[in-house]
Amino acid sequence: MLKFLTILSIILSFQVSAHPVIYKDGWVISSFNMDNMNDQQLMYSFTSRLATGFNSYRFSKDGKDTDLVFAKLNYLAWRYNGEKSQANLYLHSGLGLSDHQSKSQGALMYGAEVDWETRELFVGFKHWQYYAPHQFDMPVSMARVGFSPFTVPFDSLQTWFMVQAMYAPLADETVSLTPMLRFFYKNVLWEMGASVKGGWMLNLMVHY
Amino acid sequence: MKKILVALLMVSSLTSWAESIKVEVNGMVCSMCAQGIEKKFKKMDVVKSIKVDLDTKVVHIELLENQTLDDEVVRKNIVDSGYNVAKITRE
Repeated sequence: MLKFLTILSIILSFQVSAHPVIYKDGWVISSFNMDNMNDQQLMYSFTSRLATGFNSYRFSKDGKDTDLVFAKLNYLAWRYNGEKSQANLYLHSGLGLSDHQSKSQGALMYGAEVDWETRELFVGFKHWQYYAPHQFDMPVSMARVGFSPFTVPFDSLQTWFMVQAMYAPLADETVSLTPMLRFFYKNVLWEMGASVKGGWMLNLMVHY
Repeated sequence: MKKILVALLMVSSLTSWAESIKVEVNGMVCSMCAQGIEKKFKKMDVVKSIKVDLDTKVVHIELLENQTLDDEVVRKNIVDSGYNVAKITRE
């Protein structure tokens, strides 16, 4: 039982960055994990523009962890729906708690995310700021580019090659470059990769 | 009496019809994101089947016999899924 719970908690501790707002009445559970950072999220989209939920983060640096938990509000501020492409601008905000160097206190986060994609290409950039008074005011920035070597029908397995660049001063690997594979099938997405310094990454996201 | 029933059945089978709706959708580039379209229409009692075609950007909706679905409802489902309707045609 303990083993099962451990595996489950590891799976749930992964977090995926993407899809901050989905279709009306849709749920997203997503997780992302790198060597020294993980992030988990549960969001509900009230409309196709507004989602709320919970997001937790853990950054590890020099053997010490910084934990953050937020009640979040994500907003799709702008969307372009073209014939062959889509572009989005999302705004993130969160209010919650931080636990940094054995001290707990209130914290907040805010940020923005833009992306553009076709069936074969993806480009995205996001920036968040984490703030805990008198403790830290830290950014995390992430950029991704990717391509899909072939297009497949709606209900088939999709495959993408991507590269992620991330800047996260709260983590050991402050700057990381991570080539990865992204797959999705129906309502499940998963990604796996390894940074050029060897740190591994595994992400999972489900829409329902 | 039997003849009347048979005649009624024949008339009713002649007048029954099943409508197909073809919806051209803009922005439909990601199959995972477009699952919302399928989910919303599949929930509807009047819908027999739905097929999303990413190549042509078309959503094909087949209704059950003698059922209808207003353009406004179709449009709302697509918009609630995060997309825009370019055109709706019926067969």
